[in-house]
Amino acid sequence: MTSLLAVDNVTQRFGKLVAVNGLSMLVAPGELRAVIGPNGAGKTTFFNLVSGLIAPTSGRIYFDGRDVTALTPEQRVGLGIARTFQITEIFPELTVGENLRIAVEVTSGQRLRLWRSRRRDGEVRVRVDELLGLVGLQPRADRLVGELSHGDQRATEILMALALEPRLLLLDEPTAGMSDQETYGIAELIRRIHRDQRLTILLVEHDMRVIAHLADRITVLAEGATLAEGTFGEICCDDRVQTAYLGAAR
Amino acid sequence: MAQLVLFDAFNGLVVGAFYALMALGLSLILNLSGVINFAHGGFLAVAAYLAYTLIPRLGFWGGLVVAPLLTAGLGLLVERFLIRRLYGRDPLYSLLLTFGLAYVFEDGTRVLWGAQALPYPVPPSLSTPVSATLFFLTGYRVFMVLLVAAAVTALFLVLARTRLGIRIRAGTQDLETVSVLGINVRVLRNLNFGLGVYLAGLAGVLAAGMLGLEPTIGSSLIMPSFVAIIVGGLGSLPGTLLGGLLIGVASGVTTVFFPSATEAVIYVMMAAVLLVRPHGLLGDAARIR
Amino acid sequence: MSRLERHAPAFVASALLVTMPWWLQAAGGYTELASRIVILGLAAMGLNFLLGFTGVLSFGHAAYFGLGGYGVAMTLRYLVPSSAVAILVGVLAGTVAAAIIGALIVKLRGVYFAMVTIAFGQVFYFVAFRWNRVTGGDDGLTGWARLPVGVGPLTLDLRGSDLAFYYFVLALLGLSAAAMGLLLRSPFGRTLLAIRENERRARFLGIPVERHIWLSFVVSALFASLAGALFALLNNFIDPRALRWDQSGNFVIMAVLGGMRSFWGPLVGAGVFVLLQDLISTRTQSWMSFVGAFFVLVVLFFPRGVLGFVRRRPAS
Repeated sequence: MTSLLAVDNVTQRFGKLVAVNGLSMLVAPGELRAVIGPNGAGKTTFFNLVSGLIAPTSGRIYFDGRDVTALTPEQRVGLGIARTFQITEIFPELTVGENLRIAVEVTSGQRLRLWRSRRRDGEVRVRVDELLGLVGLQPRADRLVGELSHGDQRATEILMALALEPRLLLLDEPTAGMSDQETYGIAELIRRIHRDQRLTILLVEHDMRVIAHLADRITVLAEGATLAEGTFGEICCDDRVQTAYLGAAR
Repeated sequence: MAQLVLFDAFNGLVVGAFYALMALGLSLILNLSGVINFAHGGFLAVAAYLAYTLIPRLGFWGGLVVAPLLTAGLGLLVERFLIRRLYGRDPLYSLLLTFGLAYVFEDGTRVLWGAQALPYPVPPSLSTPVSATLFFLTGYRVFMVLLVAAAVTALFLVLARTRLGIRIRAGTQDLETVSVLGINVRVLRNLNFGLGVYLAGLAGVLAAGMLGLEPTIGSSLIMPSFVAIIVGGLGSLPGTLLGGLLIGVASGVTTVFFPSATEAVIYVMMAAVLLVRPHGLLGDAARIR
Repeated sequence: MSRLERHAPAFVASALLVTMPWWLQAAGGYTELASRIVILGLAAMGLNFLLGFTGVLSFGHAAYFGLGGYGVAMTLRYLVPSSAVAILVGVLAGTVAAAIIGALIVKLRGVYFAMVTIAFGQVFYFVAFRWNRVTGGDDGLTGWARLPVGVGPLTLDLRGSDLAFYYFVLALLGLSAAAMGLLLRSPFGRTLLAIRENERRARFLGIPVERHIWLSFVVSALFASLAGALFALLNNFIDPRALRWDQSGNFVIMAVLGGMRSFWGPLVGAGVFVLLQDLISTRTQSWMSFVGAFFVLVVLFFPRGVLGFVRRRPAS
């Protein structure tokens, strides 16, 4: 079985700071892989490398067998890699509907289209409604996203990523700063899209309940490299993982 | 021929020194506060005209010392009452504001001192050539290069050794952290602005002696300082210094071969740098945004 | 939003513009002033395509405006006695220059982008200044005038009639506004909006940000150079001042004053600016100081502009 994502010995240096140090990882298609680790372990840098925001100092990244190391973020989106950010990146002064509409239009190849066609507008609207339906956001479709709750903003961002019809979805701390109820909502959304669309998902998370609920496998990062990998059961009992999080065992 | 090239190259170096001095001031303000002070040329002109007015009373050296200081004072006021209100906002607004100030300064100097070029008094002790063989090294030109070198050295020492300088440098890297450390960022920005304007003022007083004094002196010198920053590198003071000198010398040498391209050549250099290395020769790639 | 609501601003604008020569004269103005408002308004709207709708800080648009003007002047003086060809040459000159410069600078953002646009603006100023034999240098280029446009019975006597010229210019504004409106409401226009609202998110939706900024840059320069071409025709004259940094600054203040986020805002801003400038320059020589002070006041106290107070409706 070939991996959808293969990260091969990637190192990322910022001057003298080594954020990622010889990291390798294989993610199978359809897998939901959680990436955890203490702060500073390199999780967000790792996401930035996979999504193309930065280029690695050394090493290569393969997506579906193809070397994407030199590709720009836009190009990677075109290949099927979509992501959300730790600090939600949406269009706060546009409505929810407009946010999704832009995402859908770009995906259906309408980036450069100069004229509007009623038929295409209709198709876009159908797709936007579909997406809104996933989380029941239709009643708030005409509200400015910036005015919505944190949870709704995050949900919108995830929907925008879904609109891109990705094959690999990178979610960077989607439940950070959320109440229990919001956390549950987001976790459910993720579980549903994973199950219904068989999306491959990489999830950076701190909330262990979410991980226990969702993850097929877990990769633990520490100091820029893979410390351990396995199922939830295997990871939580691993001494090295405990040490990385809690310091030396007493 | 070689004499001619040397003469123009040296001239170019002198002019490059002005560009560098002015660009350093501009760069200081840009790096710390993210503001393009388009009025920088205006401050330069104001200082030059102030010196012109003060010299009859205070003498050449008096004018040289006092005029830039007064102009820096004006800069402090401008920052405090006008520019400070715009920091949180889109950089468009501070640029527009300084544009407006540039208009006021240019027109103001025209109203107060007239549109005609004024003769700027240079002390006779400096007007004579330093040596017979190297006739192009007039005392004034040598003096200017030395003074600029001294000013630049003093600037780098201030930045490296004094508390203010270190705070400015830290603030350039990360203003938020600096404020969290308890340093008064407002005062820091204000003083930094004043320092930047002082450098422009000094450049103005020196330039007037060599290039002549007229209301458009400011706007004619500000563009090269932009180019100096772009060529030398965004966010880098040594880069700005290098950029200024480079374009000055390039401009000077071009005068020998293609006199009408003297001004254009610095833009050609800018275009070349943008093509090959957008963040400039010594610049910080992360600063592009 | 009903169709009526959506098209109302255009109706109002059209009504006001078509009748401008009359109500302006009643207020003490003259037809040429009306033409100047429309022309500078076109330039400001062109700039705003980039500034207000794509969120890109360009302070060097006088370059393309001026190139449009010099294109017209040099064509009529040296090449072909045809206003239409002259306009075409002017627009081509400005647009091609923008295409080249845009490609060079598209990786920069924010204040650095602004700096470079200002610097490039100056290049053309220097060329116009220095190249006396061809451009007339600081004195500007004279010895030519606008010629009637058209064929046989469909000829519009631009030369003889200020009013005819006004309607000619207005027609071009109308076409330009229609084109810009179409672009902004299209899917392409929405990608520009996305870039303005959150460039990073736009990029991570797969929008090729640099390419779209370049396109927006070229489109905005096209309309600015058309305005410049008409400006030269209006005055039967062009000089380097049309290329100077203060001309660029004027366009920006017009856009801001009228309201950057509104489509017709820059035109309104141009109207206010031109009228104010006309009023002040009849009273005093140092109108430039007043303009500068005006900039300062607008920025400090009126940044959203005249039409910026209209509540934003969702883009449809």
